[in-house]
Amino acid sequence: MRVIVIEDDSDAASFVKRVLSEAGHAVDICGDGESGLNQARTGDYDALVVDRMLPGMDGLKLLKSYRDGGGRAPALFLSALGEVDHRVEGLQAGGDDYLVKPYAPSELVARVEALGRRATGDIPTTKLAVGGLEMDLLARSVTRDGQKIDLQPREFRLLEFLMRHAGQVVTRTMLLEKVWDYHFDPQTNVIDVHVSRLRGKIDKDFERPLLHTVRGAGYRLEA
Amino acid sequence: MKIGRLPALVRTTTFRLALLHASIFILFTASLLAYLYYETAGHLDRQAGNELNAEFQELSAAYRGGFDRLNQSVIERSSARGKFFYLLLDGSGVKASGDFDVLPAPAPTAGQVVDVNFDYDARTPDGQPSRRSAQGRISRLTDGGVLMVAYDVGELGEMNRRISDVVWRSAAVGFVLSLIGGVVISRSAAQRAEQLAKTTEVVMAGDLSRRAPVFGSGDEFDRLSEQLNAMLAKLERLVISSRSAGDSIAHDLRSPLTRLRNRLEGGLRDTNADGPRQALARSIDDVDGVLDTFNAVLRLSRVQAGATGSFKRTDVVGITNELAELYQPVCEEKQLSFEYACEPDLYVLADRDLIAQAMSNLMDNAVKYTPSGGDVRLKARRAANGDIELSVADSGPGIPAQDRERVIERFVRLEQSRSEPGSGLGLSLASAVAEAHSGSLVLGDGLGLPGRPGLKATLVLPAA
Repeated sequence: MRVIVIEDDSDAASFVKRVLSEAGHAVDICGDGESGLNQARTGDYDALVVDRMLPGMDGLKLLKSYRDGGGRAPALFLSALGEVDHRVEGLQAGGDDYLVKPYAPSELVARVEALGRRATGDIPTTKLAVGGLEMDLLARSVTRDGQKIDLQPREFRLLEFLMRHAGQVVTRTMLLEKVWDYHFDPQTNVIDVHVSRLRGKIDKDFERPLLHTVRGAGYRLEA
Repeated sequence: MKIGRLPALVRTTTFRLALLHASIFILFTASLLAYLYYETAGHLDRQAGNELNAEFQELSAAYRGGFDRLNQSVIERSSARGKFFYLLLDGSGVKASGDFDVLPAPAPTAGQVVDVNFDYDARTPDGQPSRRSAQGRISRLTDGGVLMVAYDVGELGEMNRRISDVVWRSAAVGFVLSLIGGVVISRSAAQRAEQLAKTTEVVMAGDLSRRAPVFGSGDEFDRLSEQLNAMLAKLERLVISSRSAGDSIAHDLRSPLTRLRNRLEGGLRDTNADGPRQALARSIDDVDGVLDTFNAVLRLSRVQAGATGSFKRTDVVGITNELAELYQPVCEEKQLSFEYACEPDLYVLADRDLIAQAMSNLMDNAVKYTPSGGDVRLKARRAANGDIELSVADSGPGIPAQDRERVIERFVRLEQSRSEPGSGLGLSLASAVAEAHSGSLVLGDGLGLPGRPGLKATLVLPAA
């Protein structure tokens, strides 16, 4: 993916660049709002990573102008402001995701890659498939190698999210936000427990596991 | 009150109102008394004046018959001892007839008439000499003679004087009294205002515990004082909580930061090939812990300051259903028996995310502190008084009654829980969330046995 990072703190910017480069992405850095907006408009980027507070033009305004000008690349906000209303502001300004500083590198990579997937997978799908695992979104049914798997509604949503991001690392925080719509971290390992239950249903009777735990980061569904 | 303070008093609104009131009072009294005077003394005066006119008319008619005819008429009238006194002088100024010997005032020029007031000597019915007042009219006749007709106003004058005395004295007394009343009223009002001003002054100087006096009269000053005191109490709570938060942050962050520092230093000196790497990995965990605490403190402060949340009429059953679904597997994992019960239609004016977080904190605690094989119960119900109660009960060690109030404070962790991970902010946040919803967090005995009572934590929220 080609990513532009618009961030005025050069330490933070080079950290983002290093993390994303290590994950195999091409990264450009821009240090202020206005030139960032120009570069985002003219360059052909797959994703924008925008700091909320920028000199010249703040991140919210920048993204609004970018969207008003027809820019369609998905955008991730980085911000030290992490309350729900801040996130809502970010999403209303045209952001696709919102990551609160400080964050783990794996979280950043997971979210940026999830953005790229969203941009390319805009066409509504009715069927998802990973390996022998198939999900019918209309019939709300799941099979693996033709064998029916019964899932609770929440487990279905959890699996759907994992399948839509197949091959990518998905963090616990992302699952809480996207599957449960919670913007806080329960102290206990609730997500792990739910994932391990799901794993029990889709992987238990099969030789090859699909749902992998990525140490220190989260989970990945992969054939 | 010192004299030097008077100008300040005069500047007060109440004093100005009192002054205005006094002036209106004086105006009213004066017009009332003027009317009274017009109707009493004035009436007598006018009546006498009319009779004097009539008398003059008749004498003028007599004069048309010549001076002698007039003289005759004056003599007759004078001897009749009526209401009037007379004096007629001929053209050379010599008295022709009448009751007086000389004119009390110079006569006017020909054809003119003057009215005069004068005193004269008379005798009382029992022969005592007395000086009385009279009012009269003097006219110069065409032949140079002078005619005066007068009547006694001795008593009338006395009455006039008395009435006008009463009018002026009572007006003066009334003005002074209402001014004094105004001063007294405005002084007490000014004092109350001054007390409020003093209170805010002291508070601004930093003494947040100062309160404005409330006298229980229920007047507007009392209401103002009560409002001010309520505001000050809230401010004080916020300031104290942020002050103690500062202390607690320092305390709670210092130890993990010290640990982090030691670990980094140890890693730097570690000669094992893998040592520094391990030290770094564990340092990251330490930093994450510090950040979690920091975030929790920020969140708590925002909730306490009322700066967060979008409140909508919400059925809390939706929230508890999700929580039950989220935590049931966690309980099973830890071999806790989990029960969930809720009544339908429990509407509350709430922020879903905040309530969910508060309840999730309570569930976290229950799961964390209840030993395997125990019970956890999540319940949503309507209390007898209509409040909505969301409770989490467990069969863990519980919290001794004397500590229950304390554990809600920030960072307070009981000795036995120090070893467990956690920031010590879970119950504080739940309590702050309850308060943000105009409710409260109530701690009581849970599902355990005597000796180990368990804990029941209940969010009590007003129904919407």
